[in-house]
Order: sequence, then C-alpha cells, then structure tokens
Amino acid sequence: MWINMGPQHPMTHGLWNLRVRIDGELILDVDPEMGYLHRGIEKISEDRHYNEIITLMDRTCYVAGMAWETLFVLGAEQALHVTPPERAEWIRVLSEEIQRLGSHIMWYAAFVQDLGLMSPFLYGMRDRDLLLDLLQSYTGARMTYEYNRVGGVRNDLPSGFTDRARKVCDWLEDRFREYDALCLGSAIFHKRCDGLGVLKAADCVRLGVTGPMLRSAGVKRDLRKDRPYSAYDRVDFDVAVAEGGDVTGRYLVRMEEMRQSVRIVRQALDWLDRNPGPCLAENLPRWLGAPYAPVGREGYLLRRNYPKGLGFSAIEEPHGEALAYVVNEGVEHPYRVKLKSPIFVNLSAAKEYLVGYRVADIPPIMGSVDICVGEVDR
Amino acid sequence: MTGAASGVGPDRLLARFPQGILGIDPFPGTAGRLRFDPAIALELFREVRDTLGYTHLAMVAGIDWVQTREVLYAVWSDAGRRYLLLSAQLPADHPHIESATAVWPSANWHEREAWELVDISFDHHPDLRNLLLPTGYQFHPLLRSFKLHEPEELEVKVRDV
Repeated sequence: MWINMGPQHPMTHGLWNLRVRIDGELILDVDPEMGYLHRGIEKISEDRHYNEIITLMDRTCYVAGMAWETLFVLGAEQALHVTPPERAEWIRVLSEEIQRLGSHIMWYAAFVQDLGLMSPFLYGMRDRDLLLDLLQSYTGARMTYEYNRVGGVRNDLPSGFTDRARKVCDWLEDRFREYDALCLGSAIFHKRCDGLGVLKAADCVRLGVTGPMLRSAGVKRDLRKDRPYSAYDRVDFDVAVAEGGDVTGRYLVRMEEMRQSVRIVRQALDWLDRNPGPCLAENLPRWLGAPYAPVGREGYLLRRNYPKGLGFSAIEEPHGEALAYVVNEGVEHPYRVKLKSPIFVNLSAAKEYLVGYRVADIPPIMGSVDICVGEVDR
Repeated sequence: MTGAASGVGPDRLLARFPQGILGIDPFPGTAGRLRFDPAIALELFREVRDTLGYTHLAMVAGIDWVQTREVLYAVWSDAGRRYLLLSAQLPADHPHIESATAVWPSANWHEREAWELVDISFDHHPDLRNLLLPTGYQFHPLLRSFKLHEPEELEVKVRDV
C-alpha cells in the first residue's frame, strides 16, 4: 500500500511529499516527490543583474542564506574576473560559520522535537536568536541578508561587534554541553536513533551523498579543508567524523561541527580585529559596482567590451557540498546560473536509508538528513 | 581503481580516446574542462571513474546555447582533491546522451532535472520522469525560447521618456 507523508506532515519540515509503500509497519519502497517550492531561481537569474541575484540566493535556502550568497558570489567573481580584498574573505568565513551554527542549531531544535523531546527545541531556538542578532547587527536582516557583493561584502562590521560575538561564542560553548546532556543522556534519544537510517561509506560515495551524512559514515571529506575557498586555508579546525553512518552518527558530527565553527569564528574575529582595511574591491567595473546597473545606452557603452568568462565555485554548505556554475557572456546578467544543492542529492538516496525500517522511524531518519526544501527545489 | 593516486591529469585519457576527446581547456580551481564527443560518453565516464579516480559525480548541468545544447558534468576525486568538468555539445534538434547512472548512480536526479528543465534526454536512464515540475508539463523553462519578460526593453522605455 502506498501512503503519502506530506506535503503537509510534521516530518517534512518544508513542503514536499514522501510516498511510502508499506506492508504493515515495514517500509518496502519510497519515492520523494519534490517541486512544491520550485520558484525557478535559475531562470529568474538569467534576467537579473549579478548583485540582484544575491537577493534570490538568500531565498534558495532560508536557514543558510549566507552560505548560498557566498557560493554565488564566488562563482560570479571567477566568471567576472574580480578579486575580493582579504578582509572580505575573512568576513565571509565569519558569516558562513555563524550561519552554519544557526543552521545546525535550527536542525537540532527541529530534529529533537521530532523525537518527542520538547525542551531542547526551546533551548535551541533561544540560542539561535543570539546568532541571528549577530548577523542582524551587521547585515540589517535576520534571514535574508543581501550582504555579499561581487567583489567583497556590502559593509564592514560595526564597532564593538567582535566583543559581542566572543560573548556569544562563550555562551554557546557552555550550551553545547547541555545539548549533549539532554540528548545523549536520554534513553528516548538512543532508542529512536541508534542504528537507524544506516548509510555506509561506500553507498554514500556511490549515491553522491555529501556533508554531515557522509562524514557520519567515516569519510573525511570537507571542502573547507580539501579545496579551501575564501580564507579557509588560513584557519585551523578539525573535520568532524563519526562511525556507523546512522542517525546518532549524524547528530555527533553536527555537534562537533558546531564546536569547530565556534573555533573558526574566534580565529576570524581575532584576524578582523588586527587587520582593518577595505571590504569591497576598489577597481570594480562601474556597471558592477553600482547598486543598480546603468541601463540602456549608458549601460551598454560601459559593458560592451567586458570579457566573457566562466565561473565554478564549490563550498561546504551546512548541509554538504554546494556547487555553482556561472556563465558570463559579457552582459550585466549571467547567461546561465546552475546551482547544485547537497540536500537534493542526499534526498535522492532516500530509498537506501529508509527501506527496511518501520514507519515510526521515518521522522528521526528524515530529520537527521536536515532537509531544507528551498534549496532542493530552487 | 589503479591510477587513483593524486596528480593524475585528465590528459592521460587523450591516448585512449584520440578522436573522442575534443580538447582539455584550463579552468582555474579545477583539473580542467574536458570537451568530449557524446558518442564516447559511457566509455569516457568509466575511464574517468576507474582510471582517474573521480568517484563522486557532483553535478550535471544543462545549458541551452540555442544552436547547440551543452551538458556539463562536475566530478570530484577524493585522492586528487579536485573537480574535473566534462562538457559535451549536443545537437539542438534532438539533444540526447547516454545516461551516466550506469557509472555514477548519483546522476539519477540530476539527469531528471536536466531533462525536464533543459530538454536533454538521457538514453537508458532508469526513471526519466518529472521531478521539480508537475507530471506532463509541456514546457522546458530553462530553454532560452521560454521567455519570462523583457526587463531591458521596459527599462529603456521608462528612461527615455
């Protein structure tokens, strides 16, 4: 018998439908149905100025907008032959790690609630607010930042920011111990997570699964280490890995990643304290540097001799490996923007980690995948 | 996985496919962009995975160049720690290429997406049906012929008045 879990179901954490074929409680087959949130972001990008696309990137993944902004501007900078100043690269590292913390805590809050533990949800949301406050203090927004620019970032950090951020880091490090005590010390947690949704390393590689799901199977692949972008080659951190590839392993990987993110944030804050400077490239072409591109004849004259280019960028987004391919044909909007979402692939492997388990196991297993439908459907 | 050691460049395949590989362009940040003839697709994918060690297919992108249609694969090598881009130009009247699912099963959803959005059909794909668009949708939105609106003309008119 086929049943629909979704599009309106507490398990989905977004708008999608998991069709499940069951025999009693046993899962025989699954078929994820996507597309409820398809907004055609890649198509709309073909009609927009580069800096206007950043608005769309925030909406691609609504819990990790900063990561997607960074991904796109890295690709666009390569396509447009623009180099950002070093301070902008460090601010990007800082923003991305604050975003990773926010995304992982959001995941923690939603996932633990799926297991029936209510209090961690409230603690998680409380602590995430501090991170959003930090982001708001220098981007002006809590969710859709529009902060990155092709060639750097929009504005510098406000005064007193680094001290406030360090206080938040101290606070969070204490809270992580509480998180672990609430989950790893709970019998409910272990009964609902241990040994469930197993995806072994070989299967992860075969199916293209990346991010915490891959690292929970013991594969040490993290693009921040393996193919450093921005200033990640200058920060010191460890790649979090676990064994087993089950739901508990994914929990452990994300928890360790949060501790490492705090480490990176501290290093970035120290560097930014010591090295003032510009955070937006100064030699930007005029049509690119302006908040809105000059249009009509003026815009044409400015950009007519601009060289073509191709851009390819890859970042370790909170959910895994995200790629962008940007084609610049010498006009003020890209010819094509292709985005690859990590969850898109992690979800395509659903059959491998769901079949054989029970219907009641679906919420913890899908929760541990950390789904953000916005970036799957784009 | 014999030659999966780091540092194996894609030019190693030139002797194996003297006709099929049309060129290898440098592409900063990757091992290069390899242009190939779609006729050798499946054999090339096997060699890229087994000889060069690119075990992870990261992305399949379709690009509509109006006269032709490009399909672009990004593959990752854990040993070499870098990406390689594989690109093929397909005729626009019937763009089709062998599915990569036989070599990299992760190509499944990527190819479904490229099929419905850019109208590239993948031969021997196990499950080629709509993914992001409703079943039976008649259009391919990422083709250049699918127009949203004409913002440039609108803006020019407003400024000229």
